[in-house]
Amino acid sequence: MKLVKEIVWLLHKDGLLEWRSGYALGGILLYVLSTVYILYASFEKIEPSLWNALFWIVILFASVNAITKSFVQESGARQLYYYSLLSPISLILAKIIYNVGLLLVLSLLSWGAFTLFAENAVTDNGLFFLAIFLATLGFSITFTFISAISAKANNNSTLMAILCFPLIIPIIMTLINLSKMALDLKIKANIENDLYTLLGIDALLLGMTLVLYPFLWRD
Amino acid sequence: MIHKNWWKYLGVVILLYVLTVGMLVPLKPGISDIDPSSVRTGETVTFKVWGYNSKFAQAQQPTRAWLKLDDERALSAERVVVKSDTMLEVEFRIPPYLPVSQKVQDFSLILDNDVDGPSVLPSAVFITQDSVDAARGEQVWVNNPVQDLSNVSGMTFPFRNILGETIRNTYFHVALWLAMFTIFIAGVFQSVQYLRLRTPSRDHWAVSYTTIGVLLGILGVVTGAIWAKNTWGAFWSWDVKQNTTAIALLIYLAFFVLRASFEDPEQKARVSAVYNIFAFAALVPLIYVIPRLTDSLHPGAGGNITFGSQDLDNTMRMVFYPAVIGWTLIGVWMATLLYRVKRIQEKLWDVY
Repeated sequence: MKLVKEIVWLLHKDGLLEWRSGYALGGILLYVLSTVYILYASFEKIEPSLWNALFWIVILFASVNAITKSFVQESGARQLYYYSLLSPISLILAKIIYNVGLLLVLSLLSWGAFTLFAENAVTDNGLFFLAIFLATLGFSITFTFISAISAKANNNSTLMAILCFPLIIPIIMTLINLSKMALDLKIKANIENDLYTLLGIDALLLGMTLVLYPFLWRD
Repeated sequence: MIHKNWWKYLGVVILLYVLTVGMLVPLKPGISDIDPSSVRTGETVTFKVWGYNSKFAQAQQPTRAWLKLDDERALSAERVVVKSDTMLEVEFRIPPYLPVSQKVQDFSLILDNDVDGPSVLPSAVFITQDSVDAARGEQVWVNNPVQDLSNVSGMTFPFRNILGETIRNTYFHVALWLAMFTIFIAGVFQSVQYLRLRTPSRDHWAVSYTTIGVLLGILGVVTGAIWAKNTWGAFWSWDVKQNTTAIALLIYLAFFVLRASFEDPEQKARVSAVYNIFAFAALVPLIYVIPRLTDSLHPGAGGNITFGSQDLDNTMRMVFYPAVIGWTLIGVWMATLLYRVKRIQEKLWDVY
């Protein structure tokens, strides 16, 4: 019960900070919209296979940018305050949940922007939404944990990229497979195999994060 | 000295055994090629057959040959003429109708004599029927089932058509890969111990094991690429197994980049231990789950069964299992050397 209370409190705090500054969401929205506009301006008509690749590239880089900030914005003094108030599990869980929400909003907005500027290449909307949801789950778990690691070292964004991209590849490989099926680029077969793999990877990484973060958070 | 370091000597002895036996034991005689490989029904055809490592001319009894349809049905050769140790001319009379209802049927070629023992070329000859009539095929079929195969003793490795001599790479590529995984697991274990005990020596061990694991991994990729050149036709064909392996190595190279970006030794040890455990967890789906879901040329992926379950015979096992143990022991030895270098650096120069 204490855990849930702490998480709700942290989510409220992060949401409030975001509401007041609008920094993360605004910056990312600008990024997504300008990328999609450039794509539209240069391609005009986007083939489904290209649509698939471009969509996930936009989501991937937007997610990295969005999540890198999660631990950097916490100042040293505030960290000390957290140590005395919270359990590490609730801190990391709150960050992950917040980032899932952020990425979900981000991906759905990008999907909307793609539909607006190009067209909706997705034929199976339900499956594609499921793929987006599982992707945001995996992205936010991995990126949040890696941003916690790279926040400990001072050269942040470079290290973040070096650590993140190889670790995220298993999720991306499964994801691309799923979204190809949702775009009718591939015959739908063994969907549940891919779904279970993705869910399994997400669960494994979440478990590792919860076990390891208590060793990481405090210097 | 020998009491304390017996396992190092054991590792060296095992690897010497693997190198000599793995390289010197000959392959079992096999069939490398047949010409023509596609014929029509109703013909009498003389096939040229090339053997590999075979001794047709030295056989006491005449070499026998069959075209095998299935376990019960086979055609036997009308005439076998030995041209040399590695070349035969085999004459078959193909019946006008085949007892199958397909237009094209593949047959395996089986040779047998008392020196080489039996050898098989799967799907050697494709016979095209002029008209399909399974019932008449049954009537005209002169069945000579494959039987009384000779039993030849001697130590040989199996002959597989595409693999040929490269089958010996099993003792390097596959064994190095398994040794790498053992070493990585040892590294992760040391990282876990570091997080529990916080003694610097555990961190030294974790780094030493991981470094050696990466070295074995690179050797595994290189031997794999050489094998791929000989069997798939290219060193690197962007196969899913090759890609995931490259990514796995990137994950571990990132480990060293991460370590380089810390000044404080305690923080460096702690954060890199955390990353090491996390990376290993991410590695398992990458290496063992994803390739199974995707099409791949590599055995053990995309529904392919692994090499071992089908082709590893008892002679190969006698070399393969020691090879895994040998490479692991040598890997551990190298890791202990690295560990000692780190200890000395710490003592002498205060370098962590």
